[in-house]
Amino acid sequence: MVLYSPAMESAEEESLHSQSSEEEGGELSDGELQEAFTKGLLKPGMNVLAEESKKFVNNAAGLKQCLADFRRDLPWVERLDMTNPPAEDVLSKAEGKVPAGINGELDAEDDFQREMFFYRQGQATVLEALPLLKVHNIATKRPDDYFAEMAKSDQQMQKIRQKLITKQMILERSEKAKKLREQRKFGKKVQVAVIQKRQKEKKAMMSAVKKYQKGMTDKLDFLDGDQKTAKNSSDGSKKAAPKKGPNAKRKFKDQKFGFGGKKSGKKWNTKESFNDVSGFRAKTAHDKGARKGKGGNKNKRPGKSVRRKMKGRS
Amino acid sequence: MAASKRKRGGEGAVNKKAKKGKFVVGEGKTKVETEQEKINEVTVPAPVSMGKWTNKERVLIFSSRGINFRTRHLMQDLRTMMPHSKADTKMDRKDKLFVVNEVCEIKNCNKCLFFEAKKKQDLYMWISNCPHGPSAKFLVQNIHTLAELKMTGNCLKGSRPLLSFDPKFDKEPHYALLKELFIQTFSTPHYHPKSQPFVDHVYTFSIADNRIWFRNYQIIEEDASLVEIGPRFVLNLIKIFQGSFGGPTLFENPNFQSPNLHRRQLRLAVAAKVREKQMVKEIQKKKRKEAKEDINNDVTADVFVTPDETKPVHIQTEPPAPKVVKKNKHKAFKRQRMQRGRR
Repeated sequence: MVLYSPAMESAEEESLHSQSSEEEGGELSDGELQEAFTKGLLKPGMNVLAEESKKFVNNAAGLKQCLADFRRDLPWVERLDMTNPPAEDVLSKAEGKVPAGINGELDAEDDFQREMFFYRQGQATVLEALPLLKVHNIATKRPDDYFAEMAKSDQQMQKIRQKLITKQMILERSEKAKKLREQRKFGKKVQVAVIQKRQKEKKAMMSAVKKYQKGMTDKLDFLDGDQKTAKNSSDGSKKAAPKKGPNAKRKFKDQKFGFGGKKSGKKWNTKESFNDVSGFRAKTAHDKGARKGKGGNKNKRPGKSVRRKMKGRS
Repeated sequence: MAASKRKRGGEGAVNKKAKKGKFVVGEGKTKVETEQEKINEVTVPAPVSMGKWTNKERVLIFSSRGINFRTRHLMQDLRTMMPHSKADTKMDRKDKLFVVNEVCEIKNCNKCLFFEAKKKQDLYMWISNCPHGPSAKFLVQNIHTLAELKMTGNCLKGSRPLLSFDPKFDKEPHYALLKELFIQTFSTPHYHPKSQPFVDHVYTFSIADNRIWFRNYQIIEEDASLVEIGPRFVLNLIKIFQGSFGGPTLFENPNFQSPNLHRRQLRLAVAAKVREKQMVKEIQKKKRKEAKEDINNDVTADVFVTPDETKPVHIQTEPPAPKVVKKNKHKAFKRQRMQRGRR
């Protein structure tokens, strides 16, 4: 136990002398405390018992001595040892990352960095050692016809190979599946787009034909509609940006059909609708309009009495 | 057995094997084939015939009782990797540690790797130079054996390894001593009869996080591309002793925390968390049960009361005139109004 008092720093030398005379495991009884106080070791104030920190043995001199005794100065050929920092990592330098361990401490938690450090250390050793081995005529390359027992049996190597192959296959399969999914999505999009385009064209064509039939337009432009649209598209890009907001057609349709729900009373027989005579065509009402469609039936069948008369005659 | 029956000149062992001539099918051809091939073609001759085996280094690898399968496999792997090793039966734990020295002497070994398992969980490894030399005790962690399928390399059984050390081994005296110990233990002697003449794998010893990391790589190409063979483990130094399995302590690792202590700390941490939660719960309970303040009568409610002015009393004698409701006939229907508004 060491007695520590904040006011004791000034009397350090005294305390050093006194500690040696103090009992090592002495109980701090009142009598002893009084004695220490009279001697002048304890100052008035707060005296706190401090635990002596555990001292770890580090006998550097002993270690060096032991090493000197123990060391056997074998030639390098016997030991084949090398001490070297890890080799330059070309890849990480290219990426701009700082290689591990060279600047600071190697982070043992970062698995990849740590293993790469060990790997590069091994590489550096091999690169340095191979020329030395050649000098000593020790072979490193095994000839192809040299068969000998390996550390891992053939069975083990087969298992490893199988595992690698299955891993590879799983990867490939997942890649294929992903690609297929992507293709299908894309293909679906394309398909939908094409169908829509066709429907639009058909609609446009039909409406143009109808217009012509009803006499609203007497130009046969829709027949060469494709060429015109092709020309227009090349010019259209140079025109100003299209008008923003919904079209007139869209507006009309919105107005007429609305957005679902209860039909607002368009078809009611109200005063307004009754008084509205815009849909009245006099010629049609009085049956004086030009006959459209079939027109006059030239092949009109005569009535029964006329047919009987004709039958009788013929 | 081999030591006593070996003839001088080193040809004896090789010839004996040739006489026995067992074929091991499917295991990869043994050295027998090489001898037969030697007759047909000029291939690499057996190591001992090239030179004399002088570095008589023998390592005894064995364990105490109570080891688990992983440790057993690790020991077997080390025995396959080191042709200069010998095996022994399990040592009883009641014998004192210095008995190991006697076992080593009987087996004529001068190095020893002793694995000690405690509580069927922790593995300690002793590495020592047997008669007088230094010894060290480690805690072994993160063991991966040769049989792991993720380590795809392979090497000749008994080929000599290259040893690669981190430069940090030269900086501290205890690491320097350990380095020397590792070199003498793990390097296969030149011209050892069970060794193979090629150098095709490399052991790396690195220091990270105050521990020693061991890896074993196969050298594939001359441009130093490596593949891991295994085994791999991590050594956490506990103490270095001057004698073999005893003697004065030369070095004690201040960063070492015994596994028991580690487990205890984890348990304490969990217990502390639980206690804290309980305390918080209790405090909340107390708060809820505390007498609430009566807030029905607010003392300060009358402070800002100001009576307002009295209005004159108006008595209605006539009924009020009816309101004229004008119907806007030209108003469009609501839906149309909404649409117009939207546009």
